[in-house]
Amino acid sequence: MNLVALGLGAAAGAGVASALMGLLVPRPARAAAVGLGSAVTGAAGVLAGIAAMTGQTWSMAAPELLPIAGVFLEVDALGGLFLAVAGAVAAVAAIYGIGYSRHHADGRAPQAVLPLFVLTLLIVPIAASVGTFLVCWELMALTSLLLVLTEHRRRAQVGEAGRWYAIMTHLGFMAILIGLLVFTAQAADDTFPALRAAAATLSPAVAGLVFLMILVGFGSKAGVLPLHAWLPRAHPEAPSHVSALMSAAMVNAGVYGIVRVGFDLLGGGARWWWLVVLLLGALSAVYGILQAAMSTDVKRLLGYSTTENMGLVLVGVGASGLFASAGNTVLAALAMAAALLHVCNHAAFKTLLFLAAGSVLHATGSRDLDALGGLRRGMPATTAAFGLGALAASALPPGTAFVSEWLLLQSLIQGLPNAGIATSIVLPVAVAAVALTAGLAVATFVKAFGVGFLARPRSDAAANAAESPATMLAGMGLAGVACVALALVPGLALPLIGRVAGGIAGTQTAPATGALTIELAEVTGTLSPFLLTVALLAAAVLVVVALRVAAARPRRQEARLWDCGAGPMSARMEYTATSFAEPLQRVFDNVVQPVQDVDVTHYQESRYLVQAVEYRRQIPDRIERRFYEPVLLAVARWGRAGRRLATGSVHRYLGYGFYTLCALLIALVVMR
Amino acid sequence: MGVRVSDALYVQLLNLAAGGLLLTAVLALWRRELSVIIRVFAVQGLALAGLVGVLAAREGSAELVAVAVGVLVVRVGVLPWLLRRALATSGADRRETRPVVNVASSLLAAAALTLLAYAVSQPLVRLSPEPAIHAVPVALAVVLIGFFVLVTRRRALSQLVGFLLMDNGITAVGFLTGAGIGLIVEVGVALDVVLVVLVLQVLTGRMRETFGATDLDDLRELRD
Repeated sequence: MNLVALGLGAAAGAGVASALMGLLVPRPARAAAVGLGSAVTGAAGVLAGIAAMTGQTWSMAAPELLPIAGVFLEVDALGGLFLAVAGAVAAVAAIYGIGYSRHHADGRAPQAVLPLFVLTLLIVPIAASVGTFLVCWELMALTSLLLVLTEHRRRAQVGEAGRWYAIMTHLGFMAILIGLLVFTAQAADDTFPALRAAAATLSPAVAGLVFLMILVGFGSKAGVLPLHAWLPRAHPEAPSHVSALMSAAMVNAGVYGIVRVGFDLLGGGARWWWLVVLLLGALSAVYGILQAAMSTDVKRLLGYSTTENMGLVLVGVGASGLFASAGNTVLAALAMAAALLHVCNHAAFKTLLFLAAGSVLHATGSRDLDALGGLRRGMPATTAAFGLGALAASALPPGTAFVSEWLLLQSLIQGLPNAGIATSIVLPVAVAAVALTAGLAVATFVKAFGVGFLARPRSDAAANAAESPATMLAGMGLAGVACVALALVPGLALPLIGRVAGGIAGTQTAPATGALTIELAEVTGTLSPFLLTVALLAAAVLVVVALRVAAARPRRQEARLWDCGAGPMSARMEYTATSFAEPLQRVFDNVVQPVQDVDVTHYQESRYLVQAVEYRRQIPDRIERRFYEPVLLAVARWGRAGRRLATGSVHRYLGYGFYTLCALLIALVVMR
Repeated sequence: MGVRVSDALYVQLLNLAAGGLLLTAVLALWRRELSVIIRVFAVQGLALAGLVGVLAAREGSAELVAVAVGVLVVRVGVLPWLLRRALATSGADRRETRPVVNVASSLLAAAALTLLAYAVSQPLVRLSPEPAIHAVPVALAVVLIGFFVLVTRRRALSQLVGFLLMDNGITAVGFLTGAGIGLIVEVGVALDVVLVVLVLQVLTGRMRETFGATDLDDLRELRD
């Protein structure tokens, strides 16, 4: 029995059934029916994906299904990995969505579109012809856009975010379309095997053009600089389980596209391609986490963190391409395995974080860290979930991201000895970027967790927050289990991922082996996250016990904290997200260029006594200002120039058509 | 349809019908009286129906005969009737008084457009020695002249006639190239045209209520 076919069949059936249920089931039971159905869809996708990663394959050709293009599907190991990741995120997010949607997202449209979005997420990695791929890609963009717009009646910003997303995703789609069509024009037909066969005959210039176009298109989906502008807008405005789906599953489709077309279809290509990918990745990682560190909106922070993590993944992909073009396939497989493992890890912790942030939003109605705080008492489970997610995201030893970033650093460092000039400049820069990113990520997530959940509540909403319903906690619990499993025993996933990476890089050697202890192939490097965690825990226990023992010696005395005599400490004296990030903001002042405004009002009687201080800080996205504003201005100018053509006279409009037609006909006569 | 028309008669009838098409198009450009223009349009419908009828007799196809009858009913009966009804309600102002391009220049332009149509359709004509194909430039000229009427006339009703002239020309091109537009397609197109006329009639009525005239240049406010 082919498990891939079974899983995909079940996913398709469950997906379509839940979309219908979203339309037909009455409101009280709708969210539950759709959530369960979508969860089954996702779980079936996981089954099919894992079966494909273990070596089973399945393909389907239905040339008559879509007019002209036909539908071609094929599941291989690479597609299986992304299928499994998307399915897992979808299953968890769907269960969470049962409770979350009751809030105000259980209308007919969002509930019917959610399973369709899940289905397109599952089909994109297994499409095996350009036509099928582009149709699914577009459906994915459309369904996600509809889901982003779920709450557009309640908040005006949703509409703006939707417009940004719609325009950016369609520009990206156009780039992909151009790239793939140029490629297809050189091949016998538009199926992937035909493209693979044609890749060898492409001239370097055409292949480079194809790669650049698809890099722009897929890069914009992955939220890579400078095409990231939609991501921190659209992801926060979507309902939180949709944010999780987009941020943890949909952005992966961008990485998948780059790997599929760059490595598989174009067959590797020139070195400069991968240098570009690596540099873009490094820039995105640093810039993304820097913006996240400055952000005070928790979901926006998570959105920027997605840009950062996709940047890290692309650093791995770029390094893998570099090593492969230099002929070092084992190291290429190691870098690719690091990138793919980071895709899995990021999916796990970003799902958890977005779900936890959604739980906070559900309970308090606020995403502003400066208005939260003190949630630990009211929402212990959500606090634990966000804490776990923050630890997982911050690339410190017991965390999930640590394992993949360690693998990434290993591959970058091991690549140095036998590198050319360009590579030996780029690799150390990449190492530095990854290290800087890891450090900033710690600060970012300490801020998000510490300011948002600990200390005392800064608003009534935060003080009165109550724990979320059981289905939401179940969703967060599942994501948390995945985080812990990937952090402690990455050996569960790494052999499968290593197989996929080896297949892409063209080597039989598994880049990393071992269940509890990871051992790298052909280079010296071992890591045991499990033993490391045990050691860390033991050390922590030891320190605590030692402190207790030492502190017990002189008798403790309870006393009031010194407060300058200004009365009892209030929540306004706590660190806020803004003040926590202030030192970092000073360090990176030249990069982020914040706009600050301090207004001090004095008492009229004395200039020495301050009545009130008002402080405002804005951190505009600099790349957005430099890169987008000129473009937008030029488009606006063009539009104003075009307005002169439109005087409102019907005769003139008709005349445009008439004269153009006549000119065309005359041209036809003269030129023939 | 057993009656086969002899070759010479067929060519003459075809040319007569095609000549009628072109002549009525030019007449519609020349006359200013709206009621006369509508009558000219009806005559053109007759010529078109004749053209289709000649082709039907030539090919002995019952379907084409049905289409010819349909063309006759719609373009000689229904559409002119609708136009006349619109004209009757439009009050005293029944002349195209001030076209964008004056009548003399319009006739020169029509000549130029006919030349252009002949020049453009040369490759089509060269494809086949069929007399029907040789009449394609005439139909194309009717399309262009119809478009020209649409562009240069100010009154909503005469613009409507321009649009219908274009449609007549397009239909004629379709039949002459012998692509064999199916009955269903022709019925669909006829229905479309009738609907367009009905909608524009309502529009004209509304315009008159609002502005007291049906000069389309009064609609200048409709822009961003």
